[in-house]
Amino acid sequence: MPSDSSSSSSSSSSDGDDRNPNSDPNPDPNPDSIDQSLDALESQLASISMSSRSPTATIDDEEVAEEEEEQSVEQLTIGNGPLNEEIRAEEATDSVEDEHIGNNSNLRAEASGVINTRPSSLCRNISEVDEVERPLSPSSSGYAGERGSTSGDDEIDDDDEDDNEIREVENDGVLESHAQWVSGKRHPDEDDASVSWRKRKKHFFILSHSGKPIYSRYGDEHKLAGFSATLQAIISFVENGGDRVKLVRAGKHQVVFLVKGPIYLVCISCTEEPYESLKGQLELLYGQMILILTKSVNRCFEKNPKFDMTSLLGGTDVVFSSLIHSFSWNPATFLHAYSCLPLAYATRQAAGAILQDVAGSGVLFALLMCKHKVISLVGAQKASLHPDDILLLSNFIMSSESFRTSESFSPICLPRYNPMAFLYAYVHYFDIDTYLVLLTTSSDAFYHLKDSRIRIETILLKSNVLSEVQRSLVDGGMHIGDLIIDPTSRAGAVSSHLGQPRPATGSPGRIMDGFAGIGGPAGLWHFIYRSIYLDQYVSSEFSSPINSLRQQKRLYRAYQKLYTSMHDKRIGPHKTQFRRDENYVLLCWVTQDFELYAAFDPLADKALAIKICNRVCQWVKDVENEIFLLGASPFSW
Amino acid sequence: MGCSSSVPDRNTGRAGGINPDSGGVIDAKNLRVKLVLLGDSGVGKSCIVLRFVRGQFDPTSKVTVGASFLSQTVALQDSTTVKFEIWDTAGQERYAALAPLYYRGAAVAVVVYDITSPESFTKAQYWVKELQKHGSPDIVMALVGNKADLQEKREVPVQDGIDYAEKNGMFFIETSAKTADNINQLFEEIAKRLPRPSPT
Repeated sequence: MPSDSSSSSSSSSSDGDDRNPNSDPNPDPNPDSIDQSLDALESQLASISMSSRSPTATIDDEEVAEEEEEQSVEQLTIGNGPLNEEIRAEEATDSVEDEHIGNNSNLRAEASGVINTRPSSLCRNISEVDEVERPLSPSSSGYAGERGSTSGDDEIDDDDEDDNEIREVENDGVLESHAQWVSGKRHPDEDDASVSWRKRKKHFFILSHSGKPIYSRYGDEHKLAGFSATLQAIISFVENGGDRVKLVRAGKHQVVFLVKGPIYLVCISCTEEPYESLKGQLELLYGQMILILTKSVNRCFEKNPKFDMTSLLGGTDVVFSSLIHSFSWNPATFLHAYSCLPLAYATRQAAGAILQDVAGSGVLFALLMCKHKVISLVGAQKASLHPDDILLLSNFIMSSESFRTSESFSPICLPRYNPMAFLYAYVHYFDIDTYLVLLTTSSDAFYHLKDSRIRIETILLKSNVLSEVQRSLVDGGMHIGDLIIDPTSRAGAVSSHLGQPRPATGSPGRIMDGFAGIGGPAGLWHFIYRSIYLDQYVSSEFSSPINSLRQQKRLYRAYQKLYTSMHDKRIGPHKTQFRRDENYVLLCWVTQDFELYAAFDPLADKALAIKICNRVCQWVKDVENEIFLLGASPFSW
Repeated sequence: MGCSSSVPDRNTGRAGGINPDSGGVIDAKNLRVKLVLLGDSGVGKSCIVLRFVRGQFDPTSKVTVGASFLSQTVALQDSTTVKFEIWDTAGQERYAALAPLYYRGAAVAVVVYDITSPESFTKAQYWVKELQKHGSPDIVMALVGNKADLQEKREVPVQDGIDYAEKNGMFFIETSAKTADNINQLFEEIAKRLPRPSPT
């Protein structure tokens, strides 16, 4: 049983920004318990604070404020308004922090000599970011995101998907897929002199050890040569002192460094994500680069330290930006596990059998995927596939449009498998979402793999796998509303098949007693279950009140923090954690076999939440052969 | 094949390459040939192929990864058919070392440049030399100046293309994948120039 190891008191939030905007604002008409009347009271408070603004834009006004000039004027006027008062108030306090930026303590101690020459421009740049913003935010589209909410440590902290989320405001609560996200390089016209560039909340840079830019999330790499040189100077200055710079804090900004031989990776972020998370993201970014080029790219730097790598990565902006985007919506990026498309056991077996057949004949790995989820995968004897490799491979394939046009044969490196060598990937899309990847070591296996694909396709069609996949995409997997916890009459009555028709909302089978919040029973909003043995995770479908991409992202960031704290080697490892703030109750439970992350209504009852978590684990076990790929070759590394 | 958990290091010099199982000829009346497209990135190789194979044109640029495989059959007036198995290679620099994988054993190479880009014309000449050195000795080569619809932006004179092609025994044509101009003519002309197997 989980026991609480930490618990912060619930602070009731009267600020509409911290409430969920798209959630059903109507309090339950039948407030028969204390919890519920509190709920109702809070909802009323929330709606009061909302009422001073446009109803749809309440929480999203930060996004709107964060928007660029290209957005519609309408949205702007919604977004600015009452919030400006808060911005001004906040800025007064923030200006104090700006002072810190110039003379950051981490760096100041040892780097004073260099700071005066070049690195100072970095510090100046960062501090200027805030300075420049200040006059801007009240009048123009401004910049409120960073300091958006007036209370709480879990600030809304998005940086990307501006365009996307604006559309989301229009759609108001409709669950939108990630497909809307505009791929490719954003704002290539910017450089470090642009105000808009400095306002970006999360920058990623890849540069060479000679300071040459290789990749920048925003702006033109070539124009950022000076900035890259600055980053390189900081790294090499510390290295010259026999040390290594990992993190520089500058006010709200964190500058995270990762050195991989001749390749330097840097993240500059004010999203308040933990250092470990940002470092993990840099590792993945590096892995993505290795997937495209292999680690033998290092040899180019041995021959010529001033080697310019940008041309080698030509046309891959979209791959990196799509990966960076996934940091905010794909839990696989911090769980280091993969997820499966929910499918009937027999369906997945049928797919696995034909892949196994093919894997016997010269195929190293065969993967059948639907978007970023695995339908089935098979490895040749002794070959194992790391979840991070699956993530990077699927990101590469899905973000490169040309794979959808026709079958392809392309060199690809799996960084966790062998970072030095290319494999050859045969890629074929069966439909818009479902694709097959056959990996081989043999460069002339194309026709063989093409034949294998034809065989696989025949079997998949015959056994209706592809249509089942489409159905699963529509139906989804685990809906928290299906979790039944009434221990007396319905004990163990959790549906053991995902595909069964679910009782309609409000039917007697559902928990609608005094503890019910919106979402699932006892205020359960969402959960992620990670099986340690299988290296797989399952995430419940999002439902009210976690409706918008923005809220999903915020929840993922909260999980990410929780994950980091659970795995913190200095103070952990922990077994359980119960955390309550104004946004959620978060409960994490780690055992030898699994990790469970669950989010509840902030007013959820602790004992009941623990009980629900037990039910969730039981539920996962009941349906495990539909949500997980079982019996795959054991993953050992 | 016994797959071990480690893989030989990147090798670019392996013999073989990607070749159809049969020798490229089905019978005297029905040819099957391997065709490879080479050229700088962004000159429109994929657009030419998609125009030829599917009759489509997509102005949004989709960077090719590795190489895409498509096939299309052309019927000639002398009632022979030619099935082109087309390797549309990526123009990016990182794939240059892997090009032999795709052009080895090819009966036809189509080298493409963009008439608005002298750099791409230089790159085309590089590919021609590469093919002369390492391609099949009897390979049929075509030099294609694409984006012919952008006359006002032209930077490579037609005559330069004609001269270079003539010097290197190539067939020359200017095309526009956007307007479909000369696309079918390109492939028909290639089909006509293919060496015919002598009837047995």
